[in-house]
Amino acid sequence: MIELRNIYKSYFVNGFRNHVLNNISIVFPDNVNIGILGLNGAGKSTLLRLIAGVELPDEGSIHRTGRISWPIGFSGGFNGSLSGEENCRFVARIYHEDVDRIIGFAQEFAEIGRHFFQPVRTYSSGMKARLAFGLSMAIDFNVYLIDEITAVGDNVFRNKCAKVFDERREHTSIIMVSHNLGTIAKFCDKAAILTRGSMQIFDSVDEAAKIYEAL
Amino acid sequence: MTSAFRDFARGLSIQVHVIHALILRETRTAFGQHKLGYIWALASHGFFIGIFAAMFVFANRSVPSGMDVIGFLCTGFLTYNLFMGTQGKAKTAVKANVSLLYYPQVHPLDLVAARCLLEIATVMVAFFLFMFANTIYTQHFPLDSALLTLAGLFLAALLGSALGLCTNSLCVLWPTMEQLIGPLLRPLFWISGLFFSIAEIPLFAREALLWNPVLHVIEMTRDGWFKTYNYKFYSFSYVIYWILGLTVLGLITERLNRNKVLSS
Repeated sequence: MIELRNIYKSYFVNGFRNHVLNNISIVFPDNVNIGILGLNGAGKSTLLRLIAGVELPDEGSIHRTGRISWPIGFSGGFNGSLSGEENCRFVARIYHEDVDRIIGFAQEFAEIGRHFFQPVRTYSSGMKARLAFGLSMAIDFNVYLIDEITAVGDNVFRNKCAKVFDERREHTSIIMVSHNLGTIAKFCDKAAILTRGSMQIFDSVDEAAKIYEAL
Repeated sequence: MTSAFRDFARGLSIQVHVIHALILRETRTAFGQHKLGYIWALASHGFFIGIFAAMFVFANRSVPSGMDVIGFLCTGFLTYNLFMGTQGKAKTAVKANVSLLYYPQVHPLDLVAARCLLEIATVMVAFFLFMFANTIYTQHFPLDSALLTLAGLFLAALLGSALGLCTNSLCVLWPTMEQLIGPLLRPLFWISGLFFSIAEIPLFAREALLWNPVLHVIEMTRDGWFKTYNYKFYSFSYVIYWILGLTVLGLITERLNRNKVLSS
């Protein structure tokens, strides 16, 4: 379970304080996949980074139980000069997992062939995302934080991800942010909408969809 | 008590894993690009020592108190390299690895710690290799106190790491600083006793030079290594005050900067 209590977050941009999140309180229960909808710049990625613990809120507190992933997307987290394999090795070590098992799983899941042994800077953004997904799937997280899965390759790969999440449904859930209704509908049971720094949660994706499309 | 202790133990274990992973990764990026990467890293420490040794020999300059030229220069240069190396590595630790902060358990201070530990290990290896080779070459093993020698080396590393913590934060606040730090610290090469002993310096200049903590740690290493060199102008407490002061300053600025670093 993840609980956010009265979260505020703002950034200084060119001398102006930009309030991204204003007094957000929300509970993400176990075993419910939640999608967070928001237009570009609504603060979705910031929210995900706060949930992961990558950044700290200005005010408020976040309580987490279970094992929570880093924000998985197509950017960040990889060192460009190292190969995919070496990046996986590092992540396996910081999560104290069996290095060989993680590398084997990630390589097989990502399906990027010999590129796995090439420097990550030579990857396309789709390949980076596939590697990030393969790597995160190798580690048994309770909650996967997913940033814009829409960017991840083709339908075949997306279906593969959906299948794994389905298999692990009993102890795994997803918190996903996206501006795309389709992906949220595919993966999530509930949806929330983030606008102007505040968040509203809905019991079904359909309900949220109506409001979101009117934005 | 038990739950707090358990949390602490868990946090410590995570941190150990992270720093271990960072060191292995740093080893790969620092030395792994070339086949002889590590040899190069060691040899680069010998480069200046070789040049200055040649200058001493050609200028027929003697070294004080029964020290041999190579040993005298090694104690000076390598202690100084420990200080400058850790400072330099710590200075860019966060900037060079900012993508790793994407993993929640990787803390900016872990990046600094991992880099400094690797630098310390490398220079230490160079020190013991050079000293071993020199002992065989000169057929003379002058070691006075291993503990004092190590104290000099470690305090140099701590001093550099603490300063690096400060320069790291300064570079975040003010990126121009990264270019300025080098020139600002350059005089230390000439005034820290790398190629002179403080005992050779006239009294009026000696007092001024002793303000510099790097000179203290170099004198410590020399006093520890050479039985015949027994000048105790250095002070442990003076060096430790510097280390504590810089560490506190570095930690405060790191904390103040943390949000800025994490959101970059």
